[in-house]
Parts: sequence; structure tokens; C-alpha cells
Amino acid sequence: MRKPALEPITSRPPVVIALLVLLALVGLFCVGRLVHHFQQEEKALARQLYWRSLREQVAGKEDLAIQHFRAALSYDRDNFEYQLALARALVDSGRTQEAESYLIGLWERFPQNGEVNLALGRLAAKEKSLDRAIQYYHNAIYGLWVSDAEQNRVQAWFELIRVLIGLGARQQAEAELLSLSANVPPNAEMELRTANLFAEVQDYEHALTEYRRALGSDPTNAAALAGAGEAAYKLSRYRTAAGYLEAAAKARPQDAQLTQLLRTSQLVLENDPFNRRISRVERDRRLRKIFQDAGQRLDACIEAGAPQTSNSPTSSDLMSPLKGRWTKMKSKLGLLGTSRESDLPDEIMDLVLQIEQQTTACGMTAKDQALLLLAENRAGVEQ
Amino acid sequence: MRDSLTERQELAVPSNSAASEAVPNVRTHSWLFLTANLTEERFFLILSVFIGIFAGLAVICLRLAIDWTSISLLGPAPSPHTLAVLLVPAVVGLVIAVLVIHVFPQVRGSGVNQTKAAFYIFNGRIPFRTAVGKFITAALAIGSGQSLGPEDPSLQIGASLAWVIGRRMKFSREKLRLLAPVGAAAGLAAAFNAPISAVLFVIEEVIGRWSAAILGSVVLSAISSVVVVRSFLGAQPLFRIPPLATVHPTELLAYAVLGIVGGLAAVVFAKAIGYFRPLLVALPKATRYFQPALAGLMIGFIGYLGAPQVMGAGYESIDQAMHDHFTWTVLAGLAGLKILATTLSIITGTPGGMFAPTMFIGAMLGGAVGGVERHFYPHLTGTTGTYALVGMGVLFAGFMRVPMTSVFMVLELSGDYSIIVPVILANAIAYVISRSLQETPIFDLLTRQDGLNLPSLEEQREEGILRVEDAMKLPPAPVLDSRLTVGEAIEQLQGTSSDVFLVRSAPSGWGSLNRDVFERVVNEGKSGATLASLLPAQPLPYLHPDHPLEMALRYVEQTPLVPVVSRADLGKLEGIITGEDVFARYRVATGESP
Repeated sequence: MRKPALEPITSRPPVVIALLVLLALVGLFCVGRLVHHFQQEEKALARQLYWRSLREQVAGKEDLAIQHFRAALSYDRDNFEYQLALARALVDSGRTQEAESYLIGLWERFPQNGEVNLALGRLAAKEKSLDRAIQYYHNAIYGLWVSDAEQNRVQAWFELIRVLIGLGARQQAEAELLSLSANVPPNAEMELRTANLFAEVQDYEHALTEYRRALGSDPTNAAALAGAGEAAYKLSRYRTAAGYLEAAAKARPQDAQLTQLLRTSQLVLENDPFNRRISRVERDRRLRKIFQDAGQRLDACIEAGAPQTSNSPTSSDLMSPLKGRWTKMKSKLGLLGTSRESDLPDEIMDLVLQIEQQTTACGMTAKDQALLLLAENRAGVEQ
Repeated sequence: MRDSLTERQELAVPSNSAASEAVPNVRTHSWLFLTANLTEERFFLILSVFIGIFAGLAVICLRLAIDWTSISLLGPAPSPHTLAVLLVPAVVGLVIAVLVIHVFPQVRGSGVNQTKAAFYIFNGRIPFRTAVGKFITAALAIGSGQSLGPEDPSLQIGASLAWVIGRRMKFSREKLRLLAPVGAAAGLAAAFNAPISAVLFVIEEVIGRWSAAILGSVVLSAISSVVVVRSFLGAQPLFRIPPLATVHPTELLAYAVLGIVGGLAAVVFAKAIGYFRPLLVALPKATRYFQPALAGLMIGFIGYLGAPQVMGAGYESIDQAMHDHFTWTVLAGLAGLKILATTLSIITGTPGGMFAPTMFIGAMLGGAVGGVERHFYPHLTGTTGTYALVGMGVLFAGFMRVPMTSVFMVLELSGDYSIIVPVILANAIAYVISRSLQETPIFDLLTRQDGLNLPSLEEQREEGILRVEDAMKLPPAPVLDSRLTVGEAIEQLQGTSSDVFLVRSAPSGWGSLNRDVFERVVNEGKSGATLASLLPAQPLPYLHPDHPLEMALRYVEQTPLVPVVSRADLGKLEGIITGEDVFARYRVATGESP
């Protein structure tokens, strides 16, 4: 049967256009609902895959976790959380190049995001790219954080300093530490970490200040006490050091290193001939005792076979002249306390210093350490 | 806008009473007035927007259908060594074969050639049943893991919807034909989320010529479909483009290598399809029930063994390749396996497109070439993402043989103009290599295998065009000035044997007079009359040397000789052309004696 001819309807364009508009509106509405429903389903599926990946990550199944992170992203491709999780998983599994690619993509979308910048900073640090690491860490420090902004910024800062130390950029690390110390919130733990880092970069002055701040927040903090003691010790402030170390040793009686430092500090204080608070007689007595102790140490070392030190190829060759000088100096000891002593105390301490330095290979007791420190610092010892 | 129009209409109304009465009528029915005065051209443009909207909606549904099918059949995260990956493509292949053989026989293959055929042979007609069939079978095929993409089916579905919408309108045949490319552009733009590439592809591959009328409709439909898709699915491209590295000039050599590799891969891919497809078509018809299933089984086997990335359209894998997920060896392996898998899907006539697989292969090859080059020359700045992106364009240029589309596709997808030089260089090399080693472009090859004789647009593009300058000759007689008297003219023409003479009228008009006119005027004793007074009122048409020769055919019937004048000075004669000259030149061009 022949179909009836179709009636042309362009003669009624308003009707056609109205009909098309109506159909388009209906289509847009229906497809809109469909898309919305489907996208919700996909997002739910992505979330399931994401949680599954996190569990797999915890279980150490890195590859499977990555695969499911990817699957999650394929259903919710712009999800920041999933992308970052994938990038972190990739970094953890050593696929740094791929991780960087994802992170750079995220960074382009969220250049101020603290988490992304921190992840990129870690990646750059892993690749030992100092400039890039500093740049991203700074972005993280001054960037935007969704929660715990202050805490996260400080943590990123600590991490940057640790990276700089690790990469041997001590001066930059110190500069960062100085900035950080001005921004660390009043919190014993944070102050202690700052102080430890100062100590690590051998800025003992600032380290001591920070340990004191930490002790201000928590006066019984054993780590802060020990740190402060050690920093003071490094600064040759043995009296201060002894005070902190004593308190720390009470809290940590088993800590041998602490005890050793305390003992050395105490010996320095007990034997310091240049202490302005002691009488001249006492000074001479201490000088004589130091001199005698150094001589005994030299003899003992020669008797033990004068093991070779790193400073000299044949220590025994140097020990004999030292012994000769010691014997010669002994004859001058009578001049101590008289008007003819001139530079004799300094000459004695010079000789003691040389003896202690040359006999380090024979082992260092706390007493030897103290003598060495006394000889090195002389007037520098805290009064 | 409507207010300003009404205002202008008011100003134009004369002040007589009759006109004054008409004013409220115009105001009241301005909408009707506008629509009643719609020309076919304008109405077609409006319709193009609606075609775009409906095509966009259809493509969104197709994408959802593919995703839903994939999740349902293969699971949310298909992984190797699972039975689903091995068996689903084969089982669904059987279903597809039954559907294609018994329910939707017009939906085999990609759909580009069918759309082209609709444009050239069937006056734009692609039945709605084809769109429905393509939708169902493509969703099943791609969703089940056949190595095919949704772009070509989207193109065909768009063209079919355009026919459904426009068929009842009282359009001219030319406009009815145009429905197919307009809908195709809309479908492709929606699938690609890249309107410029879609328009260029349709112009380059389907229509093959540029004109303002075609371009307007195609652009409107493409843009409206993309707007619809973006408003529902977002503006982001099909895969996330990583930051692209700025290319140092010395690195162009590396991209040239990519062009060579891509060109060779395109040839291998096209030759494999061209060789095996007729072999399978020649098999007994009963085997067609099993061909898609067998292809599916082999693709499933590839996935089962460890490369599920080659299954389906593969956008996620392209994304991963761009983000350095794979080493260069894996990338090269995936490119090879994808060529194999896609060849299997295409030669068995499984409904689905070649765009996505081509992009996949290109991205993997690009990444692999970039990886190798960076391995040996670590100073190269190009990231894997940059090479993968350029690689996509390279394979497009080499395999599809659409050089303009390939360049703009990369630019449109990346949104980064900085890589244009490597893209053009690599694409041009791949295109030249492909043309040298594979004479017939893939779409033309498939058309010819199907027994259709559609015009090859690449051949058309490259056909040498004959121009007026190829056939014109010097005038045999001097040119006369229209201010001369007849007596003076006869003096000038002494010694010439021509019967027709050209007359130049100031400032730039041309005319011609016959010798017998002069004789008649002299006989009448009017030798003092000027030539201008004898010229017919209608000036003589003229041509320029660069005009196509076919243009001369329009005039040589009207006048015995046509002046060929300079474009810089219309009064300067470059030569003349006659009908005889035109035909003689055509005879030479076709190898006959002139």
C-alpha cells in the first residue's frame, strides 16, 4: 500500500519552530534528568572505588590501589581528592614522573592549594631539585589549606627545613628556621622541633633560645632540658649547661650521653683556672693539677703504644717532643704566683691543649674532654 | 531587538491614513511577519540550530549508554585475567551480529561513508531506523570492549536525526542533501566536544568544498550541539591534557621522526584493513554471525593476557599515556595491539568508529617515540603528554588523510597554540608518507570495497585546475577605441583578416563589432559616426586570466570572443578566448589531440 504523501509544513514556519522548541525543551529536560541520575551513580561508584583503594593502600597493595584510584577518577575525573590520592600513591610507589604529571595538572587548576604544592615540593625534593622544592614548599607554606591551615603551614615549613638540611643547603635551612621561629605557635612540641632543627644546623644560640621557649611552655620537658643543656655546652656555657643537664639527667637517668655531658661540664667548672671568682692560689692549684693530669695522660698514652691519630702519621714521633716540653715546663711551674710568671698560665694551657689533641686516639674520658675544652676556651668559659 | 525593528518599521511607514492603519497590524504580528518572510536559506539556518540540539542530546545518550553498558558488562574497573574481559566481547559480538543481519542492516561499519553516500546518492536520506540501530549496536559493541569509538556513529546518528527533522520541510534538493553533513557535523562535534575539528572534518571528508551557505549551517549545528553537550557533561576535553612543554626549534627533528613513524603506522593500519576486509566479506554469509564474536574473542584475549587498555574507545588510556603512566615499551606495545584489535573490529563490520582508536594509536605511538628520544637525548624538553598529543594528530593525518582537521583537532583539544609548529611538521610528514605508500585514503577504500563510487575528495582536491590563462591567446586584430569614428577604425584595421574586433570603452567597458557592421555604416554614408554609438547597450562580459576555464564556458556561447583583462587595470587586454580555444584546451587535458 502506498503511503500518503507527506504534507509540506514550511508554509507554517511559526508552527514548525514552536514545535521544535517544545521538543527541544522536552529533550533537554529528559536528558538533563538522565545525565544527573547517571552522574550521581558514577560518583557513588567512584567513591566506592576510592575507599577500596584506600583500604588496599593500607594493606600494602599499592598497584591495586593505584588501579582503583584510576578507575575512581574515570568516573569522577575532576575530583580533587581522588587525583591527589592517586598522585600520592604514585609517589609512594616510585612512579614520580607520572605523579608529577597529575600533580602539575592539579596545580594548574589550583595553584594556591597547599596540599598540591606540598606534594609537588616532596616530589621535587625526591628528585633533589632544590629550587623547585623551595618554590613549591613556599607555595604550600603561604598557600590555601582546607583545614588546620596554621598547623599544616608549620608542618610544611618543618618539612622544607628538613629537606634543605638533607640536601646540604644549611644556610638556606637556617634562614628558613629564623623565619619559622618567628611564626611558630606557642606550643612546646613545635618550639622543641624548631630548637632541634637549629641545633642540627649548628646554630646553638638560636637553638638555646628556642629550647628556653619550649621550657617556658613546659618546664619539665626532658627533651627540651637536654637540648638546652647540649646547646649551652656547645656554646661553652658550661654552668648553664650543667644546670639544664642536671635537670635532664634526673628525668633520664639512663641516658649515658647526657650523663657524660653533665660530667664534662661539671669538670670544666671544677677545673677552670681562669674563673674570676677563685683566688690566685686556687688558680695556681688548678693550673698545676691540669698540668699534672695532662702529663699523666701523655705518659699513659706513650706506655700504651701511642696509637696513630688521624692528625699525624706517627704519633710517637710527636709524643716524645711533647714529653720533652712538658718536662721543661714542669721546671717553670715554680714561677706560678710570682711576679715573673708572665704568660706562663697561657703557655701551660697551650701545652695541655696540644697534649690532649695528640692523645685523643688513646681514648677520651670526661676529664680529658674537660681539659681539652678548658684549654680551647680559656677565657671563654662561662663565669 | 524586536523593539528596534518595530521602531524602524514605524519610521518607514508613510504618513497617509491607510499606512497608519497598517502599523498596529505589523506591531501585533511582528513574529508572524518575520516568520512568514523566512527564506529557505534562513529557515535552514534556524533548523540547523535545532539539528545541533537534538544531535547533541542523542550523543549524550550514546555516551551514557556506552558507559552504562561497559560498567554492567565488564565491571567498573576491568582488569586482566578475568573471565568477563575474555568472554563478554565475544558473547555480545554474537548479539550484535544478529541485530546487524536481521534488524539493522544499514548500521555496519563506521558510518562516515554511509553519511557521505547519503549526501551524494540518497539526497541526504538516512532513515531513523539506522540511527536507532547505530545507537544500540555501537553502545553494545564499544561498551563490551570492541576496539571502536563513538565518534563515527555519533556522526551518522546526527545525520540521521537531521534527515528526520528536515524531511517534511519543503526544501530544495540541494538543502535536503545538506541535511546529512549538517547533522554529521553536529554529531561529531558533540562526540568530540570540539566544534572546529568537526566542521573541518565534514568539510574535508564529507562535503569536499567550501561555501558560505554550507559553512553557516554546519557551523551553527556543530556549535549548538557542543553547547548542549557542554552544558550537561562539562567543557573539558575527552581526556585531561597535561601541561605542554614549549618546543625548542632543535627539537623539531624529534617531531619529524614522530611524523615518519606515525605515517608508516598509518599505512600499516590502513593496508591491514584494506587487505583483510574483502577476505572476510568474501566468506560465506553464514560466517557473518560469528565474525564480530570472533573479533571480540581475540580482543578479549588480548585484554585477558594483560592489555585491557585496548578494549573500547580507550580514552582513559590516552589520558594515562599523556600523564606518563606507561614506559615507552608499553606504549609501543599498546599501539601495536590496538592496531590489531581495531583491524579485527573493523574488518568484521562491527558497528563503531575509527576516530577514537586512531587517536589511541597516535597517542601511544607519540608517547613511545617521545620516550625513546628522551632516553637517548635526555635534554629534549617535550613531555610524554606533548608527544602523545602530537602523535594523535599525526595518525589522524596519516590514516584518515584529513590534514587540516588533524592540525586543528590537536590545537582544539589542547587549547595550546604553542605546539602548532611541531604539529604541522609531523602531520605533514605523516600525510606525505601515507599518500606515497597508500594510494587510496581509508574512507575511499572502504567505499569502493562496498561497491559505491563516491567522489574521492582527496583526489578532487588535488586535481589540477585549468584556468583561462591556459587557453587564452593574443588578439589577432588591434583593439579599437570607442571614441574613433568608423572611418578611422577602418583605416586602423587595414591589413587584418579578422571579422570581429574588440572595442574598448572608457573607462573600463568592453564591446565587440563585426566587420559587416562597418561596411553597413559606410554604405549608409555615416563614416563619421563613433564606434561608441554602434556598440550594443549591453557591455561585453570579460574574464581574468586566473578564472577557472569552466567559467569561460558560460560566455563563449553568448559572444564569439571574450576579452581577458588584467585585474589591476580593467582596460588592459591580456588576451582573448573563444569557444574553440576552451574545447581545444580540454581536449589536450584529457589526452586527445587538440
